[in-house]
Amino acid sequence: MPKLIIDDIPVEVPPGTSVLEAARSVGITIPHFCYHPALAIAAACRLCAVKLLDGPVKGIQMSCSLPAQDGMVVSTTDPEALKMRSLVIEWLMLNHPHDCPVCDEGGECLLQDFTIAGGHSRRRYVGKKRTFQNQYLGEGIHHEMNRCIECYRCVRFYQEYAGGTDFGVTGSAGRVYFGRFAEGALESPFSGNLVDICPTGVFTDKTGRFRARYWDYEFAPAVCQHCSVGCNTSPQNFQRELIKIVARRNDQVNGWFICDRGRFDKEYLNGPQRPRYPEIGGAPGEYRLALEAAANRISEFCLQNGPAGLAFVGSGRLSLEGCLVLAELARVVGAPVSYFAEAAPAQGSLAAVRLLNEQNAARIHDIEKAECIALFELDLMEEGAMLSLAVRKASLAGAQVFRVGGAREGEKRQLPFRYQEVATLDEVPFEGGSKGVVICGAGGKSPELLSYLASSGARLVMLQPGPNAFGAALVSLERKGATLSDLVESGQIKAVVCFEADLPPWLLERVEVLACADWKRGGLTEKASVLLPTTTWVESNGTSINYEGRAQRFLRSRPAGLPLKGLDPKYYSSETEAVALHPPHVHRNYIPGGAEREAWRVMADLMLELGGEPVNEPLTGTWGKLRDLDPEGEGVRIYDLVSAQELS
Amino acid sequence: MISEALKKSLTERVAGAITPREAAVDVMKELQAHYGWLTDEAVAEAASLLGLSPLQVEELATFYEMIYRRPVGKKVIHVCDSISCWCADCDGIIEHLKKRLGVELGGTTADGMYTLLPCACMGRCGDSPAMSVGGTPYGHLTPHLVDEILEKERRA
Repeated sequence: MPKLIIDDIPVEVPPGTSVLEAARSVGITIPHFCYHPALAIAAACRLCAVKLLDGPVKGIQMSCSLPAQDGMVVSTTDPEALKMRSLVIEWLMLNHPHDCPVCDEGGECLLQDFTIAGGHSRRRYVGKKRTFQNQYLGEGIHHEMNRCIECYRCVRFYQEYAGGTDFGVTGSAGRVYFGRFAEGALESPFSGNLVDICPTGVFTDKTGRFRARYWDYEFAPAVCQHCSVGCNTSPQNFQRELIKIVARRNDQVNGWFICDRGRFDKEYLNGPQRPRYPEIGGAPGEYRLALEAAANRISEFCLQNGPAGLAFVGSGRLSLEGCLVLAELARVVGAPVSYFAEAAPAQGSLAAVRLLNEQNAARIHDIEKAECIALFELDLMEEGAMLSLAVRKASLAGAQVFRVGGAREGEKRQLPFRYQEVATLDEVPFEGGSKGVVICGAGGKSPELLSYLASSGARLVMLQPGPNAFGAALVSLERKGATLSDLVESGQIKAVVCFEADLPPWLLERVEVLACADWKRGGLTEKASVLLPTTTWVESNGTSINYEGRAQRFLRSRPAGLPLKGLDPKYYSSETEAVALHPPHVHRNYIPGGAEREAWRVMADLMLELGGEPVNEPLTGTWGKLRDLDPEGEGVRIYDLVSAQELS
Repeated sequence: MISEALKKSLTERVAGAITPREAAVDVMKELQAHYGWLTDEAVAEAASLLGLSPLQVEELATFYEMIYRRPVGKKVIHVCDSISCWCADCDGIIEHLKKRLGVELGGTTADGMYTLLPCACMGRCGDSPAMSVGGTPYGHLTPHLVDEILEKERRA
């Protein structure tokens, strides 16, 4: 372990750590542009200069590419280093436009921070600035090439890390240009990370331009709810509107990055289609009345048909809290509870949860360090795109990757790594198994097939059919949940009460929907006699469990309610009516459109209406240990907490 | 369009390389010789020969001074403006070339004969100021010598 001294502070770091990281470990941030922990070292910007006063090397050195060694005495404040950094900043700023007031990066811009930190404030250069033509790069990203400082972060990420081939760096010397061969949308499903990774405003999020500044945003740690990988995100809200989503670092899940779906697919959160008010028989009403109406309908149904004819239905979209309280609600009524609408996803999901344990459930690092990886009958880019970056990392390090069973139907995106096609899993040479990983989608697979995959001895990734389907499956095992289609097929069930569930049309036809709680509209909300709007992940606190059994806490980042900004004129059907760009100027003591409640609270309220006990804490019993989960932490694998094998 | 024979020889050249990228410059030069400059079509052909994307070929093509992504004259004049030639007054030579040819740097003469480009060091510092015309190097340039060279090359 090298011991060195940085600014009179003794530091000890693991071998191979750079001086820059060593300084960061004791709270000294050395300015840098081209250095990024996730990317290869370029040492291109020359900004992280420090002076070595004593030790194996001396003089001005670049701290990003200098491994810490025993006996180094580093000064970040030496006049020579300070001078060097201020001159470097000065030449990096030669061509940079002074357009911070109209730049979306302003306030969250490394170039601003380090220009000030580097001590450059007066422009001495009087020559012309070089300018470029921008390119259209698709609907997600705005390109402003004049702001570029040639740090090469974008191209290193896009080509080396993400395996994209349609974006890169052209030209040489003063004509270096970062862009595409011709205008057009970026093809990589990770292109949105250019926004996060660019230290200045060359790439900004087109979906949230000119809306708010960094200090206006409301943040909270969140977990992406698009697939079961459970990437960590930071939603940036302004006046109850989600402006941008950026990646939040979690080395155990997604590293530094997220996929474009998680970043750009957010319209449903702000959109006017969202159910904002409770509806009783299609007419808007108060929440209290809607709850009463739902409770009355449930009681009446139970009187006439018995509680066994009614099912309480949840899904993998529900948070863990919702899944648990739903079981309580069903118990109060005496009705069956179901977390899966259809048999195929249910059996795969449940089987995967039964099979996985602390030893065989692959962590992201197991994928990255694997020597042999089999993709078993899945569309990886659709079911868990972020994992493809881990597979790519392994592939670049020499791992063999096999795709078993060919491309899936409707597969759109290419895999960003090299692989061989094989027909069956038997052709994949797992040796010893310790360094092998099988990646498959659990939904729709038979338990026998999943057991067969597990018997290969490789570590397992079984992607679930919903963001919290792992949690839903666990609770289903614990609370003896049934599959709705089985209940309906057997003729037992006539009516359902649904919480954030999706039913296929054929099932929907065969049941009465007494009440439905959801944050989006669909067949269920259309058919429900009572609609209870719930909050989305942005407005909720909750826990979700990802494909590997990692429980993660997400927090509310904004209150529920309509965005303060009026709806986009395109949502107004009438061309003669004036467009309201502001909510009505009427005094009230509540937020307009803010009647939604978290799903588990809706269940708890309904329980009270039905004569049950109040629920103040959804996480009880064995689940109580998750109460103190740190939303900023890496999450907790639940295997020593809850054993699926014992539950089943 | 390239002939089957050229395509075959280029495919063999790529197959003979340890990694396709290292054959990229050869392939681009061959295609440039075929078309006169590296057209968009040629970039796409190079990409498919090398197993790269057009952008990745463009990255290389725009990096090298002697790959032309715009139409050029019959012969390209690369006149050095690096430090040794600058000390030997290449600026005067460049001005003379501009006047004689009636073009700015980057321009092509009206008769389509010459394109004038500045270039970085050609490694002929001992013969500075230096230039190359259509691939032939010339050193110890004077305005008089430049005129002779232009005449000679025009007839060659």
